[in-house]
Amino acid sequence: MSTLKQLASKFLGHDSVFARRTAGGIQPPSFKEHSLRSRIMSTPIPPQLTIPIGAESSGEITRLVDIGEQVLKYQKLAVISLSAKGRSDVPVHAPTSGVITSIENSIVADHSQQQQLCINLTVDGHDKALPLEPHTNHAQLSSADLVSLIRDAGVIGMGGAGFPAADKLRACSVLPIEFLIINAAECEPYISADEALLRERANRVVLGAEILKRASAAQRCLIAIEDTKPDAIAAIKQALQNEASHQPCCELVLVPSKYPAGSEKQLIQCVTGIEIATGQHPTEHGIVMHNVGTAYAAYEAIIEGKPCISRFTTLCGQALKTPKNFEVLIGTAAGFLFELCGIEANKKQKSIVGGSLMGSELGNDKAATCKTTNCLIAASSNELQAPKEAQACIRCGYCADACPSKLLPQQLLAFSKTLDTTQLLEHGLLDCIECGACDYVCPSQIPLVSTYKQSKKFIKTRRHSLEYSDYWQQRFQFRQYRVKKEKDQALSRKLNAPLQSMQAAEPAPKGQNDEADFISKEQASRDIAAAVARVKARRNEKNK
Amino acid sequence: MSALKAGAPFQHSGRNITQLMQTLMYALLPGIFASLWYFGFGILINIAIAITFAVLAEAAMLRLRNRDIRSHLGDKSALVTALLFAIAIPPGSPWWLVALGIVFAIVIAKHLYGGLGQNPFNPAMCGYAMLLLAFPLEMTGWHIPFEVITEPQPTDNLGIPILTVEREFLSPLSWGGFKQALLLAFPFAASGVIDISDFVDGLAMATPLIEFKMAGKSALLTARESGASLFARESETAWEIINISYLLGGLFLLYKRIISWHIPLAIIATVFVLAALFYAPGSVAIYGTPYLHLFGSATMIGAFFIATDPVSAATTRPGKLVYGIIIGVSIYSIRVWGSYLDSIAFAVLFGNFCAPVLDQYCRPRIFGHGLRSKSRPNEAPVKRE
Ligand code: SF4
Ligand code: SF4
Repeated sequence: MSTLKQLASKFLGHDSVFARRTAGGIQPPSFKEHSLRSRIMSTPIPPQLTIPIGAESSGEITRLVDIGEQVLKYQKLAVISLSAKGRSDVPVHAPTSGVITSIENSIVADHSQQQQLCINLTVDGHDKALPLEPHTNHAQLSSADLVSLIRDAGVIGMGGAGFPAADKLRACSVLPIEFLIINAAECEPYISADEALLRERANRVVLGAEILKRASAAQRCLIAIEDTKPDAIAAIKQALQNEASHQPCCELVLVPSKYPAGSEKQLIQCVTGIEIATGQHPTEHGIVMHNVGTAYAAYEAIIEGKPCISRFTTLCGQALKTPKNFEVLIGTAAGFLFELCGIEANKKQKSIVGGSLMGSELGNDKAATCKTTNCLIAASSNELQAPKEAQACIRCGYCADACPSKLLPQQLLAFSKTLDTTQLLEHGLLDCIECGACDYVCPSQIPLVSTYKQSKKFIKTRRHSLEYSDYWQQRFQFRQYRVKKEKDQALSRKLNAPLQSMQAAEPAPKGQNDEADFISKEQASRDIAAAVARVKARRNEKNK
Repeated sequence: MSALKAGAPFQHSGRNITQLMQTLMYALLPGIFASLWYFGFGILINIAIAITFAVLAEAAMLRLRNRDIRSHLGDKSALVTALLFAIAIPPGSPWWLVALGIVFAIVIAKHLYGGLGQNPFNPAMCGYAMLLLAFPLEMTGWHIPFEVITEPQPTDNLGIPILTVEREFLSPLSWGGFKQALLLAFPFAASGVIDISDFVDGLAMATPLIEFKMAGKSALLTARESGASLFARESETAWEIINISYLLGGLFLLYKRIISWHIPLAIIATVFVLAALFYAPGSVAIYGTPYLHLFGSATMIGAFFIATDPVSAATTRPGKLVYGIIIGVSIYSIRVWGSYLDSIAFAVLFGNFCAPVLDQYCRPRIFGHGLRSKSRPNEAPVKRE
């Protein structure tokens, strides 16, 4: 590989980066063109915002405002502390001004569909804001300053994982970083938010990338984008040229368009040729990856000094008259956004949050958007419908050809049916990234991903119960040990009894008796032997 | 698996088993036409009988197993089994032979093991192998329609009786050929009209490779080399064309990505290499040329259509390669050193037998597994500020 690389760099000028082939993948129709027809729009301010803070299970939540309090735009509302998981705190800011009406659990438009603690904000419409502290010249700030500013702005991974961006950057301060990869390979069908963002605001994204590069002290920054997005590519090239006047900060890498090209480890392999081993972290190889949206949020956090109060979300689906990309205030209800796109309510069959392959069905259109809501689909009855009944697996192996992790989904399916944990682990069930490529190609339309999710859950609970039973087994063994010990002690006391009654004449302090309970076995047996010897000696004396 | 789709993914490629099976059947068409052209209507009659009995047997079994007949028949897998089986059976076989074989294939080899997706052995080949064991004689003759000419014309130059030219070939596609094919399939209808033994005796004709093998054993090869027209019945060209047609069908399947290249390539390459290694011109006759091995028998249909039956084949990519090699070796050894005349069925069944083990031990390396512990080198780039 390295010789190839040298050859390539010889021909292509300096150490250029080229895309490599990765395993598996599918090329589903993407349906992105519908939402890309119009420009990104800002939504009007909705009358009510439901701002998610976080699930209570995920960390300790500190509220900074009370019910009935008047808040201003950009005001810090709450902080969720993830320090229990070794992560930094994530603050939440008010997207606009208004009054806090209640704080309660509600459903959030998020993959997990968990209930989260949310702050309900009744908007006053004045949009009165706190003053911002822009840092137009980020070059003056140290990387630690950049990281803390990004943390204070509440920036998290905007791609979907929602991992605090500051933590990823902090991890880089420990290990030297060679590559910062900006992930613009938005491979999942329907979602076009990143593409739209690059098309229209490439300059700011490039600036954001430069900030992230400095914050993580990376040597090189690669922007990886799929080769099927000409508008976005042209925009980045333009932005890079503008930048190049002082110093070229990023390189553009075109990756082949397939799903899931944008999955972290797959994209790393594609652009750097490094395969991250299971259980390893990319930073161990000097690689860190951030999403385009995160780069944009970093730009806003530093250059504009603006906390993360909005994100780009794709609104699409056949039930919408005008699908488009919105810059959405965090906390806007999904239904409000659907209305803005001219939803035909009778046509809508279901709502999906996320893309068509990894998204999940949204039970309630009142659910609020959060920082990771990248796409909302209002599907009509002739798209994205559950297929007919699944048929038997014919072992055609199409799923294995599609799997980016080089797993054997057909075998995993068979072992899932018998719940053969050993084989499931042996066949790499835990390496399944739940991308759904196998489901997509399966001619028997078997719900493979759902099956794997169940098996994973089964293994998890089983491991848990194994630990649990181990615990109780230990407890039991300990009890048996204790009971036996007590018995032994009782026995030795019994044997010692004659000795003690004899010794009773001698005034023995009470503490000694207590201590006798704790004497070791050898001590006891030695005492017994001594006592027996004494008794014998006395008898002998008597006989004489 | 009756659970409905629950969560993600919501999008599907739209490919389904019915489509798959249909494409497979289309891919068989060129071979069937070639066979029709050379051997007459026998193959169509075989197909008709096999399909009828396959559908009946499948429906009955689905009924017995309390499955929805309509949706399961709709997957057309029984039709594919019937087609493959009908093609493997010599044209001109009596109807009961075809019916028995296909019912065995569907009922015992498929449904008693749990139906589609569960059968460890290729049903069509199970049916074929059963017939080959039980009725070896009926299973080796390939009929070419002919007309009995009353006056014998002794032009035989070696004096071998089987080659008396007392029949004249009919065009297989003529009305006469059709009538003969029907009579052969339904001998009871013919018994009153003509003496069926007239056709049955000596007009059966095996594949060139089988003739070659038999010829080798009876030292008839010399006769051929000295110019005797042992193969004058055009069967050599017929098989060549038929094999090429199946090859084309197979390439179509590859193009459509219905099958992967691993199994066919492994089989063809193995047979070719073995045939090339052992081929000794002029010496013992049973080692045919590589060409004869590839195009003189059922190698192509075996490699592209029979061994690739996904249910019973190995399912991992490396496993498929080994599976193909095993089948290739078996095909060649059974042909050359074995006592059975045709080898595809037994070779494929043997391959099926090995498949589960191959699936367990020939697995691709999982992404991120088994890497040399390539932790960060010490001379890592110095951190810059
Ligand atoms: S694609 Fe579906 S039918 Fe084919 S092997 Fe995989 S799970 Fe089985
Ligand atoms: S969902 Fe899992 S098994 Fe299926 S293709 Fe993706 S990684 Fe492979």
